[in-house]
Amino acid sequence: MERQPPASEMPTTFLPDFCGLRIVFAVVVIGEMLALVLSLAPAIDARRWSDLGLVSLYVQWVALTGTAALCLARGHLARLGDVAAATFAYLLLLAVILGVALAALALVDALGIDPLLPSGWDEGFVWRSLAIGAIAAAVSLRYFYVRHQWQRRVFAESRAHLEALQARIRPHFLFNSLNTVASLTRTRPEVAEATIEDLADLFRSSLADPSEGVPLEVELDLARRYLNIEQLRLGERLNVTWEVDELDSSLAMPALIVQPLLENAVYHGIEPRADGGTLSVRGIREGRDARLVIENPLGGEQGPRLEGNRMALDNIRARLAAFYGRDDLLQTEVDGDRFRAVLRLPAERGRG
Amino acid sequence: MRVLIADDEPLARERLRHQLASLPEVEVVGEAENGARALTLAERLRPDVVLLDIRMPGMDGLEAAHHLARLGTPPAVIFTTAYGQHALEAFDLHAVDYLLKPIRGERLAAALAGCSRVNRAQLSALAEAEGLGGARTHLCARRHGDLVMVPVDEVIFFQADQKYARVVYAGGELLLEESLKALHEEFGDRFVRIHRNALVARRALRALVREDGVLKVELEGSDERLEVSRRHAAELRALLRAGG
Repeated sequence: MERQPPASEMPTTFLPDFCGLRIVFAVVVIGEMLALVLSLAPAIDARRWSDLGLVSLYVQWVALTGTAALCLARGHLARLGDVAAATFAYLLLLAVILGVALAALALVDALGIDPLLPSGWDEGFVWRSLAIGAIAAAVSLRYFYVRHQWQRRVFAESRAHLEALQARIRPHFLFNSLNTVASLTRTRPEVAEATIEDLADLFRSSLADPSEGVPLEVELDLARRYLNIEQLRLGERLNVTWEVDELDSSLAMPALIVQPLLENAVYHGIEPRADGGTLSVRGIREGRDARLVIENPLGGEQGPRLEGNRMALDNIRARLAAFYGRDDLLQTEVDGDRFRAVLRLPAERGRG
Repeated sequence: MRVLIADDEPLARERLRHQLASLPEVEVVGEAENGARALTLAERLRPDVVLLDIRMPGMDGLEAAHHLARLGTPPAVIFTTAYGQHALEAFDLHAVDYLLKPIRGERLAAALAGCSRVNRAQLSALAEAEGLGGARTHLCARRHGDLVMVPVDEVIFFQADQKYARVVYAGGELLLEESLKALHEEFGDRFVRIHRNALVARRALRALVREDGVLKVELEGSDERLEVSRRHAAELRALLRAGG
């Protein structure tokens, strides 16, 4: 799966961050290309390389001053709409070009370096600077706008994709749980009440924003609530062992990753077996990272049901990839008569 | 009306029991936690109706209904399910009674009042809709008047015996009123034809031997050596090589 920027990083304005090193570098490169074009264009060969030096100096001066101005005005620009921001930025750049051109004229006069320059260079210098600068600024702004539109589309697509992948509770589980509650209300109302609360928590988290992380502690708590309900349904057929004490409970992770793995384990490993079995959850600390190992007996199924298992696992993998930018965090294996899912949770939400 | 409840979840059974208790002239005669147990109890208790959960471990509800339909006096069947996706359309289509969990009291009463037997044609159609392909997990036959259930995985071979098929399995043998051809179609993935009259479990194949000039196969779990016809010898040799 492709690595995508986390949701929080999508800028609201189409103008990039002109204070950032990457954009400053991009501006320098664009400026230098413009300087090259300007030096190559005249038909006089002799002065080409000394001209390039001077033209570069001037163009970079204009470009970097313009960048600095946009950087300083960023706070104000961010509050404007696209059209207003574009107009403001463009006028700001024209002002910078005009200012630098006038300053360059004054500097040449003050230093008396006229002889170094080709004769007649100062005829209409300011107007030529302004015209070339106006075109270059328009092209650059247009470039940033198109780039932003493209990023926004990629972002929207990945976001839609992520939402489509949002953890879903199996309807099978929902309706069986409701049936369990219906049964309990008659005989054990207080257990029914607690079960409704657990169900509510499960559904709330399945409806939460999938791009936001939760602490491991919360995720494991949710997993326990889920297993409480399954325990009521399956009775002594379900035996669960937990060994997660050594894990860092504050570790951030995407929500509803552990619960569907357990649901898979119950659905495919415990329910199909008349005598049930043991589901084990083991946590291993690896530096700042965590490793969760979930094991269940094989249910001896084949065909469409196993296909459903693969789809559930693919969904979890895709959500892990969207959160961490890595696609190697969930491994599954069959070891003798046990099915094992190994989930790695890195402390760093790395990307790129 | 005598009712048998079959569901693998104790609380689901408990709820049904309570609901049925409030209905007049309804008596719960037994409860089963899986399909095989439901079959045994149905045979013994002779209920009028079986409330049969579709998803149960071991033998599921649809297969249990298949076997029930073969009983001397089959009971009426009402399926229960929590969620069935597209399968429920098939139930409607083939006029098979079902109830959705959590089951409403009035729906339960109405279903009991109007329920009917299901026939094999209906069941085959349902199995297909469920994507189960219809292969049974158990074989079911009467021996000395008792109902015997044999997991297909324990069968060593089938042998044609006039209009019956003789089933030899780890714990003994029994006679099925089915053709070898039909059995081959149903269990072709796990059994291989070695002769016009015999179908053998692939996992039981041990070796080919020649006895008095006749090619025979040795089987895991049985002392009988079955004759291999010339037609099937090559396929069998290939299977044995692949297995060894």
